[in-house]
Amino acid sequence: MKKVIVLLLLAAFGYYLAATFFYIDFGISHFTNGVRDYYLAHTVNGLSVANTVTSIVVSFRGFDTLGEVTVLFLAASALGSILYKRRHKYEERVVLFPSSRIVQAGSKLLFPAIILLGVYVFIHGHLSPGGGFQGGTIIATGFLLMLLAYQDYHVSHNILSIVESMAGILFVTFGLLGFIGGGTFLENFLPVGELGDLFSGGVVPIIYILVGFKVGAELTGVIYTVLNEKDI
Amino acid sequence: MVGSPVLFIAIPLLAAFIIPLLGMIWKESVRILPGLVLVYLLTLSINLLGYVLDNGPIIEIIAGWTPPWGINLVFSAFSGFLVTLMLFLGLLVWIYSYRFKRNVDFEPAKKYFILLMMLITGSVGIVLTGDIFNQFVFIEIVGISAYALTAFYTGRDSAEASFKYLIMGSLSAGFLLLAIVILYSQLGTLNMADIARNIHTVKPVYKITALIFFIVGLGIEAEMFPLNGWAPDVYSQAPGPVGAAFAGIVVKSGVYAIIRIVYTIFDIEGAFDFLVIIGLITLLFAETAAIKQIRMKRMLAYSSIGQMGLVLVAFGIGTEAGVFAALFLMFNHAIIKSLLFYAGSYLVFNSKEKYINDVSGLGKSMPITSFLFALGAFAIVGLPPFAGFWSKLYFLIAAADSGMIMIIALILIVSIVEIVYYFRVVNKIYFSKKEAHVVPQRPTFNALFSMIVLGLIVIIIGFFPDLITGILHDASRDLMDKTDYINNVLSITH
Amino acid sequence: MDNSLQYLEIGFYGSAIILILVGLYGALMKKSLIKIVIGLSIIDAGLHLLMISIGYIKNGTAPIFSGEDFVVAGNMVDPVVQALVLTAIVIGFGVTAVALSLVIRLYRHHGTLKIDEIKNLKW
Repeated sequence: MKKVIVLLLLAAFGYYLAATFFYIDFGISHFTNGVRDYYLAHTVNGLSVANTVTSIVVSFRGFDTLGEVTVLFLAASALGSILYKRRHKYEERVVLFPSSRIVQAGSKLLFPAIILLGVYVFIHGHLSPGGGFQGGTIIATGFLLMLLAYQDYHVSHNILSIVESMAGILFVTFGLLGFIGGGTFLENFLPVGELGDLFSGGVVPIIYILVGFKVGAELTGVIYTVLNEKDI
Repeated sequence: MVGSPVLFIAIPLLAAFIIPLLGMIWKESVRILPGLVLVYLLTLSINLLGYVLDNGPIIEIIAGWTPPWGINLVFSAFSGFLVTLMLFLGLLVWIYSYRFKRNVDFEPAKKYFILLMMLITGSVGIVLTGDIFNQFVFIEIVGISAYALTAFYTGRDSAEASFKYLIMGSLSAGFLLLAIVILYSQLGTLNMADIARNIHTVKPVYKITALIFFIVGLGIEAEMFPLNGWAPDVYSQAPGPVGAAFAGIVVKSGVYAIIRIVYTIFDIEGAFDFLVIIGLITLLFAETAAIKQIRMKRMLAYSSIGQMGLVLVAFGIGTEAGVFAALFLMFNHAIIKSLLFYAGSYLVFNSKEKYINDVSGLGKSMPITSFLFALGAFAIVGLPPFAGFWSKLYFLIAAADSGMIMIIALILIVSIVEIVYYFRVVNKIYFSKKEAHVVPQRPTFNALFSMIVLGLIVIIIGFFPDLITGILHDASRDLMDKTDYINNVLSITH
Repeated sequence: MDNSLQYLEIGFYGSAIILILVGLYGALMKKSLIKIVIGLSIIDAGLHLLMISIGYIKNGTAPIFSGEDFVVAGNMVDPVVQALVLTAIVIGFGVTAVALSLVIRLYRHHGTLKIDEIKNLKW
């Protein structure tokens, strides 16, 4: 009975959503005076950043990104606080199916390549698709692979925490430097350079590299905390 | 100008990132640093508020892009008043919880203070920001800190309460995102002032859909009926100071967000009536539920929901007098409910089930805490000469001016219900025989200090309401003046 | 509006809305805590798809200036919604991580993942 009611409610909600969204024009530019065109024009002229999404994420709406990084940081802290147990001994992880030799050897081979790819992605975030969040995630998958392959693989919590904190501190510091140098928080106070160069876009690539480090360290920390959960 | 509104966000974030590093060297610093940050921000906000009252609002742009292209922060009389109130309460929460439980380990203590500071920062960010998507980000910051703080004690059923909160919170965040997408697809902008300027060009169907989704998405933080199912569980399972922080800080930011949406962004007249109706339902539901509760913190939680209903009704009146009354109610609720949570936490400190009966006869063994609880109870039901009396009086005057006689009658009936269940507790404290198994807990010096500060404010505002009404008048005028807000934000230059 | 665009619209909006509904059903009706969390993630996925399809432009290109002369094309898809989705994905990840850690706590406490058996508080 409950099921029927819920299904009916969902159907009504779905119809409502569909009726609303199908009348929003699809596939054409909706508005003439929106912020979109300004961003597309100024990412080339004002910032010299080739990837418009990056310039929006880091510069136009850089404050959101600061909040976003904070959300990740808080999620990592929350995990530590929620799963905290006294007597935290670092024992072997309980593994149902130990990895075979082939997986172990292969992971060792792939690990540096994955890290390199991640670094490449976040260094070129302002030129090509990608950026700090994507690159950081790729780095974390490298660590996940190693953690899955080797039962006794350990990542130092202290080092992760230091990388994470330093990246965060530098992010805010660059924001405050912009405040001092240009008058507003997160303002681009460095020369923007030539569009398409590796060193272009002022503070945009620097901040995205910091975000990459931070996201990589945080996601690795989250994975590591959850993997070390025992008595499950 | 003495500082910039952006420091309200930047400084706590910097501190939050520094704390793990500093904690490796000097363990006590994780407790001290948040307090220093809050003290600094409170002085900054008082200074800025003084500046704003004389010179008009401060609009701070970020990353050098003027609105509507960049994100901006608005520190006006209205938002500045709320920010100052929140930071003041946040500082008291910090003082209160500095040594709340002695046997907490270093790691959880570190996380607790980081999360508490970010809870306050997120709430301040919700109030200051002038961009709807940025507001969404801050709401999520508040949400994640709130889930983690609720589940802080591992011994209780706190994980269950937190999970419940999380499910409701992330569903409502989805609605918020839908509302933002609908507005963006129509106007192509995310800036509040820019949306408010162009909202009349949007077709009514999108306007109403977006408004509904906004209210569903924000109603959870504001404890609006029927989205407040999380509140009693969360308040009863979370640590005492965190409950006070929810009632005093988080809920205020939720109400602010709804009010900003209804008053500034949308131009739908019916939204005000909707606020009155939903506020009344919330009020009636909460007060009837409160009278049935046998557990202390659940009763306080339902009372908190009821007060927020009252605030929504006051905002729904829609006149300047109504806004003034609503702000006064918010101020009083923040102060008095924090006091009740602080004192109530100590009254049931050593009782496992936290029953109201366990406070019987504690008036002799815990005289100061009991007195402060009674003071809070008298104040919140609106007895003269305490602070709560004035806010209810102004509210009734505002309602009478708008001819809402039925509402006045209802509010008075509800007040009687409130009196019944609060006086039941006070009666138990002073005139019942002590339960044998209850061990009184002496409050720490810090806790006593913050309770006494709140108690003094309740009494002082009760005798001299003029101390606060000046700021409240400026704040309510600021909220009512929509064109001024739009012009101020959009005319800012870098 | 030509036909192919109409099919595309139905495909994008329709699948996004179906994802949202499936996720809602999972979050509301499933009895296992893990499945509820999965439901919440599916809702997020649907929302992100919906947001991205708002920004779609017919024959549009990715909003990245590249090639020899960095063509400034008026035919780029909307970069704003893409940036918003990037933010929303990260936030969704954070919420999911916290939710799963709460599930671990509940399992540790009660020894079960069935929501019916974890009812110390009223639901």
